Amino acid sequence: MSAVEWGLAAIAGLAVVAVLAALAAPQRVRPTTVGSCTAALGGAGIAVGVLAAAGRRGAVWLPELLPLFGVRLEFDPLGGVFTAVAGAVAVAAALYSIGYTRHGLDSRTVQAALPLFVAAMLLLPAAASVATFLLLWEAMAAASLLLVLAEHRRRTAVAEAGGWYAVMTHAGMVTILLGLLLFAAHAGGETFAQLRAADLSPAMRSTVFLLTLVGFASKAGAVPLHVWLPKAHPEAPSHASALMSAAMVNLGVYGIVRVGFDLLGGGPAWWWLLVLGLGAASALYGILQAAVTTDLKRLLGYSTTENLGLVLLGVGAAGLFATAGNRALAGLALAAALLHVINHAAFKTLLFLAAGSVLHATGTRDLDGLGGLRARMPATTGLFAVGALAAAALPPGNGFVSEWLLLQALIHSLPATAVATAVTMPLAVAVIALTAGLAVATFVKALGVGFFAKPRTPAAESATECGPAMLAGMGLAAAACVGLALAPTLLVPALARAVQVAVPGTEAATTGRLTLELSGITGSMSPLLIAAALVVAAVGILAALRVFGARRARRAARLWDCGGGGLTARTEYTATSFGEPLQRVFDDVLRPEQDIDVTHVRESRYLVDTIHYRRRVPDRIEHRLYAPLLAAVRAWGEAGRRLANGSVHRYLGYGFYGVITLLVALAVTR
Amino acid sequence: MRRLLGKIRRTGRVAEPPIPASEQPAPAAAAEFGGSVQIRHVDAGSCNGCEVEIASAFSPVYDAERYGARLVASPRHADVLLVTGPVTRNMADPLRRTYEATPEPKVVVALGDCARNCGVFAGGHGVIGPVSDVVPVDVEIAGCPPPPEAIVAALRNLTGR
Repeated sequence: MSAVEWGLAAIAGLAVVAVLAALAAPQRVRPTTVGSCTAALGGAGIAVGVLAAAGRRGAVWLPELLPLFGVRLEFDPLGGVFTAVAGAVAVAAALYSIGYTRHGLDSRTVQAALPLFVAAMLLLPAAASVATFLLLWEAMAAASLLLVLAEHRRRTAVAEAGGWYAVMTHAGMVTILLGLLLFAAHAGGETFAQLRAADLSPAMRSTVFLLTLVGFASKAGAVPLHVWLPKAHPEAPSHASALMSAAMVNLGVYGIVRVGFDLLGGGPAWWWLLVLGLGAASALYGILQAAVTTDLKRLLGYSTTENLGLVLLGVGAAGLFATAGNRALAGLALAAALLHVINHAAFKTLLFLAAGSVLHATGTRDLDGLGGLRARMPATTGLFAVGALAAAALPPGNGFVSEWLLLQALIHSLPATAVATAVTMPLAVAVIALTAGLAVATFVKALGVGFFAKPRTPAAESATECGPAMLAGMGLAAAACVGLALAPTLLVPALARAVQVAVPGTEAATTGRLTLELSGITGSMSPLLIAAALVVAAVGILAALRVFGARRARRAARLWDCGGGGLTARTEYTATSFGEPLQRVFDDVLRPEQDIDVTHVRESRYLVDTIHYRRRVPDRIEHRLYAPLLAAVRAWGEAGRRLANGSVHRYLGYGFYGVITLLVALAVTR
Repeated sequence: MRRLLGKIRRTGRVAEPPIPASEQPAPAAAAEFGGSVQIRHVDAGSCNGCEVEIASAFSPVYDAERYGARLVASPRHADVLLVTGPVTRNMADPLRRTYEATPEPKVVVALGDCARNCGVFAGGHGVIGPVSDVVPVDVEIAGCPPPPEAIVAALRNLTGR
């Protein structure tokens, strides 16, 4: 057995141990036991993923495990990258869950769902046959649904979010199932090796791609299939939100890359234009919604849509370049997309976990009711700031590195000969630029309004710092962010191998140890030097202030409050007021609903007694696209209910006529 | 557009000829301002007569800005506090805080008779006293209200231009 195969065995073994521990351990020690076992499971995932990404192979075929087909697992570098990411997220989230699930989230079901969910995500990228893939996909969906529903007794919104999630994820599952089964039927076998060798007609290939794309894009939270994401991620417990938002959505991208590039071997340009368009729409729509929302976890959920949109944009661009025969650029764009998957996983884990400890300490996710946490939760604030810097894609954060690479790939595709490329690429560059700008505003809002200034509610005032296990989980994620920001060059060989699986014949997209030097095109950037320069500049300015400022006498003065009697929390910016200018600018897209009720005093209509102002920014796609759909389904269901009127005779009649129809149909067709 | 251009041509120059600086000795701090004086105006309880004259002094007709004086929106940005009116009970504390918030070196100008000696409001039930009872005053401008020429002359004295 190779090391990778031992690792697969370890994953399976640890998952079983963790589930048994969740079922058997007494309630008092359950979170600790399950959390440690799941962290070990995640560690095994990292080890296997890193080995696979380093080029070590390993395959397992267990014919007895699944009737008719058997379970077939095989690692290649592409799958290895995704498994390692999922493993790393799982370690941080599992450590965090030891502290987080202690109060009210320690039931057997919720605890057992966690290792199941993690194991499914770790093994999914290794699936090497359609049956195995679908089995693990469904296991992942079911386990995550249990986690989303964990707090359904406490809040009614959880049940609604769970309903949306269950329907969307299973609708996606159905399209993936249809697509892959069609593929397998026409390929004459269900292992991925047989699918790769299959010779399909172009129409069939496009059908397979489109069907799977719908399912995978829905999992990746791409517009307009994203509606479950901003509902389910806020309502799930925070360690589950982190796992879903940082690890599970990535597997949607994995599916598109695996099926589109690897199994189907690329396709016509319009496939990839579609992916690119989906990505661009998701990036813009996601960050716009994030910029105006006031719910911290909903904001992070929309930011996931944005970041996965950027990844899809990179994947689409890579497909376009590969179709046009430009392998260097295709490799660069895909490497940038994969690097962004890794970076996004690091900072989104951190942000969701930090949002969880805020929720834990204050009981609210509403930014308008937070504030002043810097003094009361200094560690969480610092860690959230690290994540926010990365998510805002500003140097020296890690988000900047991958967005820079993506921009380089897009910019260097010009001047292009193909009309599609010449039109799309400048638009894509503009989308990324606008997205990056809005992301800065969004995360300034999240950090500034949520953590700085004065507390706005008693809950925020009485917040206390979270425990060591939760801090350790967040600390790991923050360390990953810093590491990725300073030394992304370490990932270059693994990314190059992963890209080669998808686009054969590419070289490493970048070279250099300290500097990312693009191969094939001119361009280089050194994250380490940028960080060093920023540190030197900051230290220099501080030292200069100290030296030159010391010459003048200093005096302490109170904060300028316009001479009035001190500032209150009511004078602060809120998330609503901070987002208001953006909401005004993008009024046509967002269509906010606001109404003002003015009550006058009885004596005079010129004197105002109270003013009520309400503002909601509904998800417009949900309103315009899904509400009519749901209404139609409901009407159909109502019509169907008339058939079931409770009469046993009628039901027997249905069965009888059903059998007759079937027999007639068989007699006619045979 | 043509009408506007025509009007500009017909109107010509409306600014008054330069008004000489006042004869009073400038306070010592004024030398450090280097010809640029940022002014924060504080209404400590004025009847608004002085405000009209200040607005007039900074209008295109008298144009105090051409001598380097400029009104700003916060005492944190200011070199000079321009205080009008007798100090009322409600404004005494804000005036004191505004004075504390102004960085050194600073100059306080009491503008108008009310600011100097409470004027017609002396003995009023809400009046605490003249500005010099609350914060140290460096320059006084007499008049009820002082004409814009007097304001500009005093400000030229501070800017030294």
